[in-house]
Amino acid sequence: MHMVVLTKGVPDFREGQVSFDEDGHLERGKTPTVMNPNDRFALEAALQTRVRHGGRVSVMSMGPPGYKEVLREAMETVYADDLHLVSDREMAAADTWATAITLSAGIETLGEPDVVFAGFKTADGETGHTGPQTNWCLDMSLVTHVISLDIDEEAGTLRAKRLVEGDIEEIETVETELPAFVVADPEFEPSYRTAGERLTLKDLREETRARAENYEEHLTVRDHADINVDPDYIGLDGSPTIVSSVDPIPKAPAEREATMVDPDDAGAMQDVLTAMQSAVGDGDGGDAAAAGGD
Amino acid sequence: MTDFDPGDYEISELGPAIKDIDDLGELEEILQAEHRGQNRAPAVALIESRIEKFSEDDEEPADADELDLASMSTAEIGNILQNVEEVSELESLLEREEAGENRDPVTRLISNRIDSVKGSDEEDTEVEVDDRPPEERHPDLDHPTRDKRHVRSLHGGTYRDMWVYCETQAGELVDVSKEMLGKARELMDAYNDDYGVSEQGSEASETESRADDERVVAVLIGSDVSKHVEDVIACGADVVVVREDARLERFQHKPYTEIFCDMARAGATHQNFEVEGGRDESWRDYDKPRYVLFPATNNGRDLSALVQAELDSGLASDCSGLYITEEVISNPVKTGVAGEKKEFQRVLHMKRPDFSGFEYSTILCIDNPTREFHPQGASVIPGSFDLPEPDTEREGLVVEHDAPLDDDWFRVTVTDFDRLDEGIDLTGHEVIVAVGRGIGDDPTKGIELALDLADQFEDADVGVTRGIVTGSFNFDGHVEQYTHEDRQIGETGQVVAPKLYVAAGISGAVQHKVGMDESDTIVAVNTDPDARIGDFSDYFIEGDLFEVLPRLTSALKEGRFEAAVASDGGRAASTPPAGTPDAGAGAAADERGESR
Repeated sequence: MHMVVLTKGVPDFREGQVSFDEDGHLERGKTPTVMNPNDRFALEAALQTRVRHGGRVSVMSMGPPGYKEVLREAMETVYADDLHLVSDREMAAADTWATAITLSAGIETLGEPDVVFAGFKTADGETGHTGPQTNWCLDMSLVTHVISLDIDEEAGTLRAKRLVEGDIEEIETVETELPAFVVADPEFEPSYRTAGERLTLKDLREETRARAENYEEHLTVRDHADINVDPDYIGLDGSPTIVSSVDPIPKAPAEREATMVDPDDAGAMQDVLTAMQSAVGDGDGGDAAAAGGD
Repeated sequence: MTDFDPGDYEISELGPAIKDIDDLGELEEILQAEHRGQNRAPAVALIESRIEKFSEDDEEPADADELDLASMSTAEIGNILQNVEEVSELESLLEREEAGENRDPVTRLISNRIDSVKGSDEEDTEVEVDDRPPEERHPDLDHPTRDKRHVRSLHGGTYRDMWVYCETQAGELVDVSKEMLGKARELMDAYNDDYGVSEQGSEASETESRADDERVVAVLIGSDVSKHVEDVIACGADVVVVREDARLERFQHKPYTEIFCDMARAGATHQNFEVEGGRDESWRDYDKPRYVLFPATNNGRDLSALVQAELDSGLASDCSGLYITEEVISNPVKTGVAGEKKEFQRVLHMKRPDFSGFEYSTILCIDNPTREFHPQGASVIPGSFDLPEPDTEREGLVVEHDAPLDDDWFRVTVTDFDRLDEGIDLTGHEVIVAVGRGIGDDPTKGIELALDLADQFEDADVGVTRGIVTGSFNFDGHVEQYTHEDRQIGETGQVVAPKLYVAAGISGAVQHKVGMDESDTIVAVNTDPDARIGDFSDYFIEGDLFEVLPRLTSALKEGRFEAAVASDGGRAASTPPAGTPDAGAGAAADERGESR
């Protein structure tokens, strides 16, 4: 079984990393690049498959040379065998369609994988298009929003549960034949059912620890010529969309006069408490109907 | 004195309307006019931000080498780049950006500027579009891209109409389908006013539709969807293209994409910039739609990506604002000529709240000189636009699609499906405890503390901001369910108005405000006394939520505050014992199910 997992580096937007300048613009200063958090679920899905069926896991990313670190992080998560970075100035500023064309060409240089895994949405604004579009080029069976996964290697089939949303939420069970392209949902849960599987997982972890220390030995970097794509179809040149402007979201005007409260001032805190208690009212029934506005 | 009256514009139209006004004095007048008139808060904020922007523009050009790119937003960098003329400086900026933040929009901006500066230096040398085929330009490659079946490029095509994919679920039209139709109607009515009359050369009457008007075309695909035809026409469609087949009962990526694209191209094939074949359909005479809209639901978003890939075009996802206007572009990839600006007409401007939740990006899908990116596509966040008032008098054309379906499209089969319980409804509760990014130091703990506080009330539940839903926080399994979109409060989430709203660690972005500012009593907890949440709170406890929430919780248990404070040293003492399931009452506890 050969699996390929796609991942991406994104700025770390967790609290503490985020601040604003005087004009309300987001300051991205010193924000480290981390692996896209939603890619973790794709990696988990690949790892589960690897534990159950064995085989080889390749991880691929498109981005600047600095993304090597992201690939190392991915290797540690998925216990990958080999890492692949598609990197070239010609690829800079690609939108999802240009990225998909690049990644599909990259994947094709690795042969014909049985399953390709991708995450859903990245934290830096890319939007869940890259996985499906990459597969549109590869033309494998596409299954998206996957929350659980079972592969029958002998029969060459894949069964998955996927999440459907809209006015109602549904869970669908779908079946298809390999090769398949799986987009994992953030709700994906890997499962290791037998002691044997859990043991394999542990062994893999040990094995990867050593490999990740010398991860660059397992890393191949390719440019556009290596993956044989036309520069016109990648990067900025191949991107239908451009960002025309970025505006801070307008600040809300003041409407209430807040009473400032020092949490160490017991009297003031008692006032807040009283206000909270009386807001809810003491058994007077009140009209919660005011809340039905939506 | 300006004759611009902001009162003439809806909020959503005001942004584009004032975007070309660059006179500070005039903007100030408009601001005053808004104050005198409707004094709408978002309008005021919009005009003020415009004024702020121009006040900044007057600043001295910066020295490129001293710029701290990392601390600047994309917009700021864009403004400053206009004053940098040296290619070497720009290239060093590009390298620094790539080594640092490596933001796509920024690298694009700098690359564009380099091209534009280079272009104006080179003048008479090669500024024309190089329209040799890629094989000649890049002899080192054996050019698979061009032959690839997936690049279905077109040049010199004709494009008309706005197509709307109307998603159905469990036999019903999803609300966002109607919302999109309403918006599409509004956009195309304005479009026909702006562009239709001049093309025809004569004024048409207001009520009669003109022969060359571009239309709203609704697409219905499924096993039993023709029953919605009247509905979609009443919501604004001029034409409905319907495909029914028993095999299409559930959404499937491949057949739905193939069918939509076959409808859009009327059966033609586009390859190597040429049109081949196609059906003669009397109701239309164009190669591809001009615009397409999809719902930003799981399936709608997937379909939008696949359709636009197949049609060789681009899209913006999860949009909350749309408008059509011209745009001047200087990007040489788009203009074909370095250093020259070109005005693109009829551009769909797709506005989306950014990943961070702090900024809006406006995305455009623009033709390259030799490869035309149409249709311009967007997916729309449910609830962004109003449900239209159905007009049952409206008439429309129904077109049945019956091209053959290929068995190979049905490689993925749906064997079973279950409807999940209704989503979380936060709107009926007396108390909502909401948390934002302020829980970042210990996100799991933050949610636990909010749950503990909510447990002190009979009818309370926990909500989160968009920052939590889209952020990259790592939550432990037992609280993770509280951090999803179904508990998001704000513009793109739920709008609540409880008797008591506790906002902990929430800075107070305007999108959050619209989701909660009708609450009776609002208590904010925040370490930053300047956080905007203070502007719409009744009480602002200036402190760390990890300390303040436990104090409030124990004070509510005791019934009064003094006792709780006396026994409390701060964070450590207020930590509830780990692993103890909350024995809370009310709806909050019920919905928690098997947590931990």
